[in-house]
Amino acid sequence: MQSSDNDVIDRPFNFMDAPMAFDRSAGWAYVNEFGPVFQTPDGFWMITSAEGVQFAHRHPEIFTSAKAFDQLGSPVPLIPIAIDPPNHLRFRKVLDPMLAPRVINLMEDQLRAQARELILAFAGTGKCDIVADIGRLYPTQAFLTLFGMPLEDRDKFIGWVETMVEQAVVDGQAPGEEIMLAGLALFGYLQEFIDRKREQPGDDMLSAVLALTGEEAFTNDEILGMCFLFTLAGLDTVTASIGFVMLHLARNPDIRARMIADPALVGPTIEEILRLELPAPMTPRVTSQAVEVCGVTIPEGAIVQLCIGAANRDPQRFVDPNELNTDHADRGHLAFGGGIHRCLGSHLARRELRLVVEEFHRIIPDYQIAEGVAPRIVWPSGTLHLSALPLTFPAVSG
Amino acid sequence: MKISIDADLCTGHARCAALAPDLFTDDDRGYGVVIGDGVVATEFVDQATRAVAACPERAITLTTGDQS
Repeated sequence: MQSSDNDVIDRPFNFMDAPMAFDRSAGWAYVNEFGPVFQTPDGFWMITSAEGVQFAHRHPEIFTSAKAFDQLGSPVPLIPIAIDPPNHLRFRKVLDPMLAPRVINLMEDQLRAQARELILAFAGTGKCDIVADIGRLYPTQAFLTLFGMPLEDRDKFIGWVETMVEQAVVDGQAPGEEIMLAGLALFGYLQEFIDRKREQPGDDMLSAVLALTGEEAFTNDEILGMCFLFTLAGLDTVTASIGFVMLHLARNPDIRARMIADPALVGPTIEEILRLELPAPMTPRVTSQAVEVCGVTIPEGAIVQLCIGAANRDPQRFVDPNELNTDHADRGHLAFGGGIHRCLGSHLARRELRLVVEEFHRIIPDYQIAEGVAPRIVWPSGTLHLSALPLTFPAVSG
Repeated sequence: MKISIDADLCTGHARCAALAPDLFTDDDRGYGVVIGDGVVATEFVDQATRAVAACPERAITLTTGDQS
């Protein structure tokens, strides 16, 4: 059954037509106008309601992931995001405990010191670009710390990953030479490290995965695939979120002042901004059978985008969905996805965001967006992130 | 009042343990676990409602009355 809602839309849906660049509220309003479930002119299906997205999350046997990530053309299995049940559980059972909140707690002091160091590097100058000076650097440092890799390799690492992510394969085109070279260099680096950690294990997550035995043991390709996925999924997403969190704090001095006065509000403020601003606003699935969602039948074999960015502003689930309201605090948003594929790195990502916010405001409580700048996201794009966020503030001495 | 988690729906967001530490803890995988028998003392009702709202999976239920 097709709804007649589409009649009111005079132009066919095109995600790139959504006015996202300066205001995601307007952008997602455009997407939501097409209804809770609809097919795009190029044959994909979109689920935009929270109810529909949650239904898909709860039915991984219908909304499968293995085929959905084929388009990325990864040479190694993307573990665990592109693995379906029952094999998926085998990986999550051992990986979840390695990234559980209690494990992240053990990293907190080290990660806090790193955040502080990055901020102190520009605090005396009276200006910074949040994206370039913290956002790009900090998530890679956290990843290298987690995996027991040297921080000195940070910039080299960032170079490879950015080349691969920013110039990622579009519409099945063959990847360009630059991407291939970056990919080869990254894989070579990761393999070298895997080999070294096998010889000399450390107190880090990579060593812990390598130490798995029996049925839990990963093959070399699986370990490489997991490392590769962490770099694809865990770096630019946090980079983008650091930018968005600081953008909204810069724009809302009242919210910022309340948060500084009451540190218990740091978490709720971050959660509310995560709800509104998603770096990865859609996750793909492929249907294993025909299925009815919100009264619309999606056929078997369909490529479906679970549109979390739209679901997080669904008025059926969120009162005043476009308002940044820290009174509503954590409203059960879906920014980290849900179901069995719930973002594996969510607890680390949240911690990184909290540490950046706490340390930044401890050192630089008073700041504003640089004069004449209207922050915008890179658009059109599949992942959403600010191009830059220049701030000015009274220089902090010594 | 009593709080419970549907273990089939929990996937380890760990929001309950973060927001309602007197009512929930998290296990080795980060999955939510109700502390004790789940009976919510008056002073923790606020925590309970926060956990219900924050669970992305809608896996937490707060029931009133004499259910045991």
